[in-house]
Order: sequence, then structure tokens, then C-alpha cells
Amino acid sequence: MIYPKKYDVIVVGGGHAGCEAALISARLGCDTLMLTIAIDSIGAMSCNPAIGGLAKGHLVKEVDVFGGEMARNIDETGLQFKILNKSKGPAVWSSRAQADMVAYKYRMKTVLEHQEHLDTKQEMVDEILVEDNKIVGIKTNVGNEYLCRSVVITTGTFMKGKIFIGLNEYEAGRAWEPPSLKLSDSLRNLGFRVSRLKTGTTPRLDARTINFDVLTTQPGDDDPIPFSFRTENFNRPNIPCYLAYTNEKTHDIILSNLDQSPLYSGMVSSLGPRYCPSIEDKVVKFFEKKKHQIFLEPQDANSTEIYADGLHTSLGYEVQLNFLRSMKGLEEVEIMRPGYAIEYDFVDPTQLKHTLETKKIKGLFMAGQINGTSGYEEAAAQGAVAGINASFFVQKKEPFILGRDEAYTGVLIDDLVTKGTKEPYRMFTSRAEYRLILREDNTQLRLAEKSFNAGLMRKEDYAIVKEQIRKIDEIKKTLKNRFLVPTPETNNKLLSINTDIIKTKTDLAKLIRRVEVSYDTLRTIVTDLPPIDKFTKQEIEIDFKYEGYLSLQRQQIEKFKKYETLKIPDDFDYNNVNGLSNEVKGKLMDIRPVSVGQALRIQGVTPAAISILIIYLRKHSDKRFKIAN
Amino acid sequence: MYDNDTIAAIATGYTSSAIGIIRVSGKNSIAILKKVFSKDIDFEANRVYYGHILDKNGTIIDEVLVSVFMAPRSYTGENSFEVNCHGGYVVLNAVLERLFEVGARMALPGEFTKRAYLNGKIDLSQAEAISKIISSKSKRALSVAQRQLSGKFSNKLDKIRESIIFIMAENEVVIDHPEEELSNTTKQEKVNKLLSIKEKLQSILKSSEFGNYLFEGIVLSLVGRPNVGKSSLLNILTGLERAIVTDIPGTTRDVISEQFTIRGIPFTILDTAGIRKTDDPIESIGVSKSKEAIKNSDIVVAIFDGSKDLQEEDIRIIEDLQKIDKKIVAVVNKIDKKIILDKNRLNFKNIVEVSCTTKKGIIELEDMLSKLSLGDINDADIVSLNAKQKNSLKNSIEICDLLIHDVKKDIDPALFAVDIANLVDELDEIVGRITNEDMLDSMFKNFCIGK
Repeated sequence: MIYPKKYDVIVVGGGHAGCEAALISARLGCDTLMLTIAIDSIGAMSCNPAIGGLAKGHLVKEVDVFGGEMARNIDETGLQFKILNKSKGPAVWSSRAQADMVAYKYRMKTVLEHQEHLDTKQEMVDEILVEDNKIVGIKTNVGNEYLCRSVVITTGTFMKGKIFIGLNEYEAGRAWEPPSLKLSDSLRNLGFRVSRLKTGTTPRLDARTINFDVLTTQPGDDDPIPFSFRTENFNRPNIPCYLAYTNEKTHDIILSNLDQSPLYSGMVSSLGPRYCPSIEDKVVKFFEKKKHQIFLEPQDANSTEIYADGLHTSLGYEVQLNFLRSMKGLEEVEIMRPGYAIEYDFVDPTQLKHTLETKKIKGLFMAGQINGTSGYEEAAAQGAVAGINASFFVQKKEPFILGRDEAYTGVLIDDLVTKGTKEPYRMFTSRAEYRLILREDNTQLRLAEKSFNAGLMRKEDYAIVKEQIRKIDEIKKTLKNRFLVPTPETNNKLLSINTDIIKTKTDLAKLIRRVEVSYDTLRTIVTDLPPIDKFTKQEIEIDFKYEGYLSLQRQQIEKFKKYETLKIPDDFDYNNVNGLSNEVKGKLMDIRPVSVGQALRIQGVTPAAISILIIYLRKHSDKRFKIAN
Repeated sequence: MYDNDTIAAIATGYTSSAIGIIRVSGKNSIAILKKVFSKDIDFEANRVYYGHILDKNGTIIDEVLVSVFMAPRSYTGENSFEVNCHGGYVVLNAVLERLFEVGARMALPGEFTKRAYLNGKIDLSQAEAISKIISSKSKRALSVAQRQLSGKFSNKLDKIRESIIFIMAENEVVIDHPEEELSNTTKQEKVNKLLSIKEKLQSILKSSEFGNYLFEGIVLSLVGRPNVGKSSLLNILTGLERAIVTDIPGTTRDVISEQFTIRGIPFTILDTAGIRKTDDPIESIGVSKSKEAIKNSDIVVAIFDGSKDLQEEDIRIIEDLQKIDKKIVAVVNKIDKKIILDKNRLNFKNIVEVSCTTKKGIIELEDMLSKLSLGDINDADIVSLNAKQKNSLKNSIEICDLLIHDVKKDIDPALFAVDIANLVDELDEIVGRITNEDMLDSMFKNFCIGK
């Protein structure tokens, strides 16, 4: 049937990208429909039971500021929280939490069900309906046609998903769930380049068969910090993980059974992620390493299932069992679910704009693993941006685009649409050029205004952030305007907090720039400084201590913006530019960069080619300028 | 600027010679050639054609040889050709005018090389080498420039860059994989790596100073009280090879400088007219004027009259020179006469005894000057860099010091990353891996027409 209700936005898929896209679209007032293969699997964690991690924590917090749900959801269902890299500087701190994955997906499903303007239905989407290169609707496996104005596809690993366990293979989208067999053909027929990627997961173990007494305990932080800046009365448990190690016997078992691996026997030829290698890859490629660490993580608060992080494998069941039992503490372990490798269809993301809309079909957006990424957080960030822009497309608003100088989400999307990817793309802090500015701790401070102006942030939430900013500025001002004079008494006090004496009149801001001085220690000698909360303290200390480097990065951003603002018109004809090689021309016409800055980041586009382009664009805009005058 | 135009220019300069070459490059080169060439043929790459250049009425302008190059296998990377005409301004100009009639335009200074750069045929350090080849004042300088053009210097920098990128990567791994057990390099290993990078950069900087000497020439000043033989020594030095006299317009009066080479190294003596004039005992040289000459020079040659004892003015000169940080050669002249001067009182490290009359000691003086300018450096290690490139190199060395300091102080790896990224940026500026318009403009403006 042609379904009578017409939607503004249809979201295909209920994973981490789909949930954010659907919720944000509905929250922006669009009539939204989420279609999923299995309603019970909404918000499911297919792999590790954790949210956040290096650079991923940044993404979660950014999604939070864009009105998404991931941060709130983990704050309500996490089992332990930890800041990684705490021994290093604040720019590379990252939050990570173990999730109760059952509670996580249950809460997410409940949030969706209670969201105004959002319908959720269990149907499989088989076909995208397009007229004149514009989206008109979709068709499902039960014969329904839903008409709509825009579609966000978030299929994860489900399109033509194929699972490998040893030499056994079967069709599945995730573990034992059915794959989507028709949708990627529909995309191929529309002219999209679709290829294959591979990823994998680890065996799940029965906690009752593990000897935890001989393993190292890994608890979370004692004083945990929530992901969402809106979370109040944060009080979550601190359930530990455990550390186990492979040994030479484990490695021998793996090496002597490589013929049982679909990856080494040639059954799977698509590329998997280099940074998240299977245990067989680790053993083969880092032959000299005598042991690898394995994190044993609880999957949820009530079950006995344990996730064995670091043991991604596609080896056969028997081999998995044997190498597991070779490890200390796992001598008698039972597998509850075996690890597997999965191969799936993804769409080359260079076919997308920065809004995540396809260049080819108006109103068609894509987010998550379908764009070649890996990770819940990467998916959620794209889901948020696709949901926002699908809504703005319907509402005829200006697109919402994040720069590389504004957010990790901006870096992620720019990388995807500019460079594409040959392996599942994972976020790293090293991908962000301006990471001293794009910190996790200041996420809401740097993005609230943009988010509020785009209508993504509620007034009361914006008020919270504005108050935070006001407080920080006030204390900074106080510190700059308070002076100490070098009296013997003052200098004695300074020595008492283990810092050097002063020789001239010195403001407190200058003192706090010293490594060994904090706001708290300063207050012990300047007793009338106001007491402030932990967050404000942290922000002023970062601002002062890193001042030199921060201003350096701000200068770099200005330089970067010079090229970003040098726009290349949509209809620009590269054939008119003499001196560009055919190879470079082909790349530029394929990607169609929006600015010279983006063109510069396309692989294989040389600085010399950029010079030619700049000179050409300058000359042309000059001509237009002259005509206008 | 870059466009579809076909450009043409006289490549051999505007002096009379047996043959002259006109170079043409651009998309329409071959079509243009067909319009002016006497034979109607399909031109092939890398071949030489004999024929005539005709004017619009079909009258012969000149009998020529034309070499044809096709993109991308040409100097500029575009279709291009070269016309070997009979030399002489009138003929060359007539051919050039004819080319302009049929669609070529005059090349801007440096435009051929700029196109070669834009088409990826050369990098910036190679472009710099080309400008040096053109302006080389000696064979020795020419061969050094040729070596740089072949890309040897760029390769050297690439290797340094690679080792920096490796340190960067090590740093990033520590940041992005905190839970991995990585075999960290020790602090001392890191410092050693950075020290070795710094040393390599310093040695390049040093070689570029020599490059400067070799290409720009060494400025000598001759000081001494009147009548010690400054003028005679000047004549000997400049007379050893053909002296090139150039007029450089000054602000208040004309300053005459003279150039000569010793062992392939170009030398320049400023204000030679002044030296000749003030050697007249009546018009003695003022101390302030000699001070000015000393300030602008790389090497100071102080001349004393060996047949007389030190005079008051000699002593003042010695005292002045001891205050400054310059390479100094003391020349004791007139050794054909009876030596009265006590050499020990000169108090200089480098002393040469000569006679401008008998030319005795002149070869030793030349040896000394050559040693003081290039030392024992191997020509293969000499590079030529422009001021901007040298500045980047100096910045790089400073950044190395900063990085070593960072490592010693256990700086936050995120901050170390910022500092080391700057180092790569500076190096990239030297070979032009980073697009910097201002640099390109200033760089290519310095080229003469034709290349």
C-alpha cells in the first residue's frame, strides 16, 4: 500500500546513527519515521560494551550539544566511568564508560517511543524511490510505500552482511540477525559506488568460568565525570574490568591454525581496520611481542556475559576455545557467543556533501558505518549531523556544517567526504589539527552558541552554558586584576606553596601560569579569592597555563580559514584551468571541493595544482569584480 | 599568473652573438609554429627541423633550426619549441615580433620557470638553482647550481623530514593509544634523534652561507693609511682576470665596485674609485669612511707598509679591527724593500707578505682569501638558498632546540605535537611543499626573462 501518512524525514536503521538522526529530526519538529529490521535491537551495541574512548569521548560530548541522546543515555546506564590520558595534558583527555548494554538499548528505545513527532516501525527497507534526482519515498519488504521529503540511511553492517566463523559463513547483519539484501542494489542502481568493508568482534565469555582472582582489576575513576553537561545528580556504580594476557602458547595455537581463518585463507579480501586488528593479525604482524593484553569487560549489570576486548577473531569455534583456555585465568572458560568477522556493503563517502546529503540525489542522506566508519560514537556524530541537515532540508534552512576548526565531528565528516576511506574509519585526536582548542572539556563552551543559533539547543540549556562562560570570564578577570607585591611576607607564603618568590609586582594570572600553582593552592595564600566549582577551576587553569599554545593554534586557525573561505563555485569548470594534470582534474571533478582549503586536502592534489587554482580563481573573481563596478 | 597564453621570449639575452635562441611555450605553441615556419609538416617531439621563419607576406626573416618538445616532456611541462636564429638583436626581435603577430605574447620575468614549477616539473629549491645557473659568475658556482637542480638537495631535506615524521608518529601513538603497552623510546633516544636532526640542519645552513659566497660573491674591503699600496693591490687583484666594472647608482653619488674571481670564487670590492682617489696622499682617508667599508664586507684586507715602522694611523686601524668580528687578513706590502715593520706588533692571525711591485706573495694571498671564504668544504655540500628559505632553516634549528627542551622537561605530548608540526611546516616552506603565494610571487619575480 501507499501509506497514507506522509513524513518529512524517514530514518532507515535504529543503530547509533539512526537513533540520533531520528531523535534530532523529531526534536526539530519534523514528522519522522524510523524503520528498523528489529525494534528490539534499537540502540544495540554490536561490539564492545563501552561508550567514549580516545577522541570518541569528544564526539559523544559534541552530539550532546547538538541535542543528541548518546551522552544522556550512557550517563543513565554506565557501569564505570574513566578519563583516559589523565597523565597527559587536557587536550587529549578522553572520557570512556563501560555500558550496561541491555539497559542502554532499553533506555534508548524508550526515549524514541516517547518522542513527539517520531514513529517507529519494524519493516525492512528494500528500495529508495527517486524522481528527477530527488527523494520521494521508500519501499519496504511488506509492500509498503512511504512517501517523504528526505531520507537518512543508517544501515550499519546490515547491507549484504556476511558473517565468518572459521570456514563457516552465513548471511547476517549482526550476529544472528537477518541482513538487508536488496537496499544496496537499489543504491547501486541509482548510480552510487558501493564497495565492501570488513570488521570483527570478540568472543563473549561466561563469567562463572573465569578465575578473576588471578587477574588484575581495572576500576573506573573514584570521582567520575558525566558525559552530558546537562546531567545532574550523577551517581553511577564503579564495576571493574579485568586485565588478562595472551602468552606464547596462545600465539602458537593461533599461528598453527591460520588455515582456519577466513582472513588468511582468502575467503575475505576486503579491508578491516588497521588500528583494531584481529588477534590473528596481531600475532602475525607483531611476531616479536610475547604477550598481548586483553580487557575483560562486563556486558551488563545482571548477566554473566563478559566481553573479551582485544580478541577480535574470525577463527573457528574450536580454535577460539583452545586459545582462550591457554590464557591465565581462562583455563576453564566457556564461550557464550563466538567471535566473528563480518563483511558488508558501504557507500564511498566522497559521494557526500559536508551535510551528509548525497551529491547525486537531493534529500538523500547517509550516516554511520554505511559511510565507511567504525564505532558507535562516529556513527552517532554523523547521525546527528544527517538528522539536522535532513530537517533543515525539509524546513528550507541553511545547512549545518561544522569546520575542522570547530569540532571533531567537523574533522570526521570533512575527512570522509574529502578523502574517502579504504578501511573502517576511526576517529583519533591526531586527525584534529587544532586539538588544543577542540578539547573534550570545553565542548559546550565552544559549540553552544552555534548550536543554539541553529535551533538545536534549548534556551534553558544555553542559559546553563552562558552562565558557565560568564563565571569563567569573571574569575579570569579577577586574577588578572589582583596583584601581589614582593614583600618578605608574601614571598614566604609563595615558598609555602612550593613556588618561587616574586621580585616585582605580579598579577595572580601570572602565578597561576606556573606549572606548580593551582587556583586552590593560590587560595590558601590569597584567602579572599572566591570558592569556585571544579569545572570553572579547570577551565581557567587550562586557559592560563596553555595561553601561549592556545593563541598559536588560534593563529593557525586564522591561516586555515583563509583557504576555507576561498570558495570554489558549484558549477566551476576545471577544464578551463590550464596546467592541471588530468589526474588532478579528475580528482577535483569527482570530489568537487567547496573551497580551496578542501581541495588542498584531497590526496594527490599537489601544492602546485593549488597554486594554479588560486591564481585562476583570483583572476576570475577580479574580472567579476571589475564588471560589477 | 597562469593561463592559456602561449609565451615567447629571447632566451639568450640581448647581446650580439653568433646564434640566438627564442623559446616558446604554451598550449598553442605548435599551431603558432606552423603559422610561421616555411615547411608544412607534422612536428614530432624531440626533433630538430631545418627551415625558415617567414613574415606575413611569406618573406624570409631568418634561416633557422627549430627544436620541438611536447607536453609533459619539456622544460615547462607544456608543448614548446625553441628557434635557433642567427644572433643579433634585429633578427631575434623580428622573429619574436612575428610570433607575437600569430598569437604568442611576451613572457613575464621568470614565467617559463614558474610554469615548470606549476606543472610539477621542479620544486622550489630546484627553481632557486635555475635562477642561480643563469646568474652564475663562475664555472664552480655553475656546477654547484647544476647539482642542486638535479634534486640532490631536495632529497637530502626529504630524508630529514622523514625522520621528523617518525618522531611525530611516535608521539601520536602515545596519545591515541593510552591503553596499549608500547615500547617507548627513552628520553635520551628522543633527544639524540632531535640533536642529529638539528646538526643536519645546521650543516645545511652552513653550506648555504658558502652558497652565498659562491653565488653572490664575497665583499672585500681594503683598508690602510695612504700610500701603503691599496691602489696597487687593487689593480693586481682585479687585473688577474678581466675586471667587470659595474655602475650601481647610489643615493648621493656613484659607487664603483669591481669584481674578480679567485679559484672560481667571485669577489667584490666596493668603492674602488674611492680607494684609488684617496690613495693620493693629499686627500687622506677618514677613519669613519674605512669603518663604513669594513661594516659591509665579509673579509677585511688591512695593508701595511713593510718598509716603514707602524705609524699612528696604522695603530688606530689595528685597534679598530680588533674590536670587530670579521675575517681579517693583514698584508705587509713592499717586501721588495728593506723590512723595518715588526710583524709581531700587527697582532693578526692571518698575515701575508707581498710585493705589489714584484708580485711576490700574491699567490699566497689568493690562497689565503680562498681558504677564508670557502674553507675546505666539498662543492657537493654547497647549496644556494634565498633569504626566505634561509630564514625557514634558521627557524627550524630554533624549533629543534625548543623540542629538545620539551623532551627534557617532559612536556605534554599534545604540546610537543604543536611544536614539531611547526618544524615540518618550516621545512616544507623550503622546498615549496606548502603553498605560499607570497613566496611564489617573490621567488619567480627574480627570474630574468627567457627562463
